[in-house]
Amino acid sequence: MATVTIRKVTKAFGDNVVLREFDQVFRDGEFITLLGPSGCGKTTMLRIIAGFEKPTGGELYIDDVLMCGGKTFVPPEKRGIGMVFQSYAVWPHMNVYDNVAYPLTIHKTSKEEARRRVERALEITHLSSYAKRFPNQMSGGQQQRVALARALVAEPKLLLLDEPLSNLDAKLRESMRFEIKEIQKRLGITVVYVTHDQTEAMAMSDRIFVINRGVVQQCGSPEEIYNAPVNQFVADFLGNVDFFKGDASNGRVVLPAMGGQSIPYDGPRTGKVDVAVRPENLVFSEDGPLQGILETHYYLGDVDDCRVRVGDALVRVITSGYEHRHRQAGQPVRLAVRDFMVFEDDGSLEEMLEILT
Amino acid sequence: MERVKALQRDRAPVVAKLVLALVFALGAALVFMGYRGQVQFATSGFSSEGGFEAVYALSRSVSNAWSDVIAPQLGALSEQDRESLDAQALQLLEAAWDSHREGAGGEARALVDDAGSNGEEMTWKLLHAAYLVNGPKVSSAGRKAIVAARGDAASELRAALLRCMLDDSVPVPEAAVKITDKAEGEARRAALVQALFVSAGAEDASLTENVNAFKKGVRNKNSQLEAYRMMAGGGGSWLWKVIVGNSRTVMLVGTALMVDMLLLCFLMASERRWTFDVKWIVMLLIIDFLLIFQLLPMVFIVGKALFPEGSLTLETIRRLYTYPLNLDALKNTFIAAFATMLLGTAIAFPLAWLVGRTNLYGRKFFRALFVVTYMVPPYVGAMAWLRLMNPNVGTVNQWLRALLQLSDAPGPLNVYTLPGMIWVLTTFYYPYAFITISRAMEKMDPTLEEASRICGASPVRTLLTVTLPMMMPSLIAGALLVFIAAASCYGIPSIIGTPGNVNMVTTRIVEYVSLGQQGINDATALSVFLMFMAIVILFISDVVLARRQYITVSGKSVNPSVVHLRRWRWPLTVAVSLFAVVVVLLPFATILATSFKIDVGKGVFAPRNFTLANWTTVFARAETLGCLKNSLIFASVAATVGLVIACTMSYLLQRTSIRGRSIPNFLITLGSGTPSVVIALGLIMTMRGNFGIDIYGTAWILIVAYMVKYLMMGMRTVVSAMSQIHVSLEECSQVAGASWLTTMRRITAPLIFPSIAAGWFLIFIPSFYELSMTTLLYSSTTKTIGVQLHEYWSFTSQPMSCAMAFGILMIVVLLNFVLNRLTRGEFSI
Repeated sequence: MATVTIRKVTKAFGDNVVLREFDQVFRDGEFITLLGPSGCGKTTMLRIIAGFEKPTGGELYIDDVLMCGGKTFVPPEKRGIGMVFQSYAVWPHMNVYDNVAYPLTIHKTSKEEARRRVERALEITHLSSYAKRFPNQMSGGQQQRVALARALVAEPKLLLLDEPLSNLDAKLRESMRFEIKEIQKRLGITVVYVTHDQTEAMAMSDRIFVINRGVVQQCGSPEEIYNAPVNQFVADFLGNVDFFKGDASNGRVVLPAMGGQSIPYDGPRTGKVDVAVRPENLVFSEDGPLQGILETHYYLGDVDDCRVRVGDALVRVITSGYEHRHRQAGQPVRLAVRDFMVFEDDGSLEEMLEILT
Repeated sequence: MERVKALQRDRAPVVAKLVLALVFALGAALVFMGYRGQVQFATSGFSSEGGFEAVYALSRSVSNAWSDVIAPQLGALSEQDRESLDAQALQLLEAAWDSHREGAGGEARALVDDAGSNGEEMTWKLLHAAYLVNGPKVSSAGRKAIVAARGDAASELRAALLRCMLDDSVPVPEAAVKITDKAEGEARRAALVQALFVSAGAEDASLTENVNAFKKGVRNKNSQLEAYRMMAGGGGSWLWKVIVGNSRTVMLVGTALMVDMLLLCFLMASERRWTFDVKWIVMLLIIDFLLIFQLLPMVFIVGKALFPEGSLTLETIRRLYTYPLNLDALKNTFIAAFATMLLGTAIAFPLAWLVGRTNLYGRKFFRALFVVTYMVPPYVGAMAWLRLMNPNVGTVNQWLRALLQLSDAPGPLNVYTLPGMIWVLTTFYYPYAFITISRAMEKMDPTLEEASRICGASPVRTLLTVTLPMMMPSLIAGALLVFIAAASCYGIPSIIGTPGNVNMVTTRIVEYVSLGQQGINDATALSVFLMFMAIVILFISDVVLARRQYITVSGKSVNPSVVHLRRWRWPLTVAVSLFAVVVVLLPFATILATSFKIDVGKGVFAPRNFTLANWTTVFARAETLGCLKNSLIFASVAATVGLVIACTMSYLLQRTSIRGRSIPNFLITLGSGTPSVVIALGLIMTMRGNFGIDIYGTAWILIVAYMVKYLMMGMRTVVSAMSQIHVSLEECSQVAGASWLTTMRRITAPLIFPSIAAGWFLIFIPSFYELSMTTLLYSSTTKTIGVQLHEYWSFTSQPMSCAMAFGILMIVVLLNFVLNRLTRGEFSI
């Protein structure tokens, strides 16, 4: 129900530029995830949308109304946004009901109406029986749901979520992930979600914005981002990947690190390239093009996580755990490559790997 | 193997219980023996324990003199000589008793006989003692002449003296001529005996001191006789002598042991762990210190107020609390403290918010400035405001009259009134609330406020519905702190209230104390009021409020969000600056200006009114420098010992889970909450030997008072620093193979060093310029700079005392700078 238009927004703290010319449109009803390593500027972007930070330059519109830019600045309370903070920010001096009812009290909603809406919000977040509790009597997950209920109760057109699941344990995180997605679908609101957890991003988003060093690297559906990353950073940030230097010519890529073995390639690039292979796209195959020796394998139940030495390179292979018992370390094996990505070798790989390690 | 281990396990509790019981029995025995000694001491008719002690000390000196000097001399004599010496000694002895015969009669006779039958050694002892006390006095010139003899000359002199005693015809050595020139016969011999002992005891000056103490302590003849008898007969074993000589101290130690063992037994039982732990011993030592120097005086005060003459009567209390002057003081104290609390908090909250959470210009500077006021002695502020708001010549009044074109009549402001006092109290105690509130504000998770903003609340509404309610516990705690500080303040009321006839409870208490014994009793009844008020408030803020403290420190560190003041930014900055000028700059400037004046009524730059003489005079006086030295030494000792306790307590509180560690914590908190005059009064009444500790009039009573009052400041600092070091940092070091001590030295100590330094200064600085307690506890040798300043202000010259005050301020600021450097900017007060 809300469109967020960001025009060349830049944010700098002193000399430290955290956002460079962010220029994007979040469409009505979309679930947008801002994904990136810590310090990439994603939280700053969210806080600019909320109105807690003023951009150094650029404009921000919500539903074509100028929020900030030039001399205009609409304070957070006038933007009609819901937000859930990483620390939940549930007020300890109010009980759950009062916490959730707060936005309605501010907007002078009638008592009757307020009660109806608070109860509905508590119902959505499965908190109906906790209305009289105080935050210090509740678990992290419950507090997080209080924060969510409070953000939803005023029926905002735009909901901002700042790593809301990062303080929860794994099981709760998974169930909350789907609850949030369900609520968003049901209410049809626009959600901007900030996280550094790629699984969360993949599971919930309509579109993911991968950000690094204040610059959007790529935006697209989870599938696009995962399968067709535009650069090495995106490829590496989502999922597992091994990079190898290669030479592309005559329909093949020669991999010097693998003792000069090569794999077929029919893409457009030639010359020096970076080849990126996801471990799940490598399979053991009698007639595969790569020959190596199985060095280790770890049986993880659902999958078998193997390391194969090919030439000088150590390649990670993740295969179905079902066949693991046929394999032994030290065996010679052949590998087939189901899919791989080829990027131009512009030296950015080294730089990027430096950031991530 | 299994069985052996099981046996050992079983045996440990038995051993522990046995040790507990034995030590408890030892304590009980000490109490019993102390009591017996007390009875003995009382029946002997001594007027003080000191006299009794002197008797024993004297007897020790005599024994030493005997074995060192007399015995070898006697050995060298021929058989006949010795016999004649013995005979003469007996005669001398009898002569000595003459003075007692009338009073003592048969008893003295019996004693002499007794002495005679005990052999020559005893005779000599008695002889000596008798003459030391009652024989002709050795003139100081003669004593000097004899003492002047050294080495070989001394032993020659002694031999000569002995020979003179044996034979009347032998010429007296030159040195002793002055003593004996007028005496003849028995008197001459007596004088010679004394001269001999003076020469023997010359190296041991305590002989004379002991004699003097003995004379003072043993007032009537009967008890002197008794003392002689005890000396002569040995009076029991060495241990018994110590016990009788220090019976009250022995009883105190015994009681402490018994209390400790009971406590330890209780703790062990509740923890079900019957083994001895060093931590417990350390904790018990701290508890003992606090029990004796803090709880005992307080309990004694309450007891004294309720049982003034040994029986329960409310008469004293009724009399005191219906006396109009006291009633007035109570009313004034309550009104002043309450008004100061309201005004101080009303100033502190907006100030803390503006400085902590908005984009006010220069907020860091203002914060430091307001916090520094906390470290300024309140009496300095009182002096400044007295100069500023004196109804006739006060600078502010002169300005106002000029500004409003009023007549030259006094006014419009008058500091010598209750409102005047409230104003001065407020300017010096609002920092208590300011510090408490701004600390809480800085710790508050800013997203709590952001959440309110995003819910649609304006900044002001957020302040009222989220920030203020969240701050409420700290706000109330800060307000109560101001209340108790204002109610128990002595410096400001004594400087402003006394000339203005605005009485406060504290000034009344000090006045009563100066009236002597009856006054002290009356003072206790008044101080009970202050004490109970403080305890009630302490209870409210520590127990009731602590439960409501909201812990809002979030996991992720966040910079407190800053509220943009926009068009209010400049006006508010100006308002805060004005406040700073009025509250900080103006008083300090006044003090500085006054210190250069000749005539305080004129401006400092008026013709012929500027002088440096005040400074040079004050700081050239040996007395001032002596006081300064005293203050520095006392405060250093208090801070150092206090910090050792503070660090130990922090370790116990933060790193162990032993039971009972909250007991010393509670006592320390109680001590800091007790009004200064009450602490001082309690110490006066209990530390003059009546409970076995006699430190009245010494530096120790001041140091103990400072520690009781300011220990918590140091402790809280170290505790909070230690709570921020996760225990895993230490565990990691231990896993890496470092011992506990190495871990403390290499990991913990460096990490908390800034806080340790800050803790030291937090005890040192207020102790350094302390006035309220010192004024009651100092003696001529332990005068401190605060007392000296107060005396100068009251009796000598205001400009000179201003010079001294500014000197103190400069020292405090300098120390603050040192602290800041030492802690790499992390701490300043």
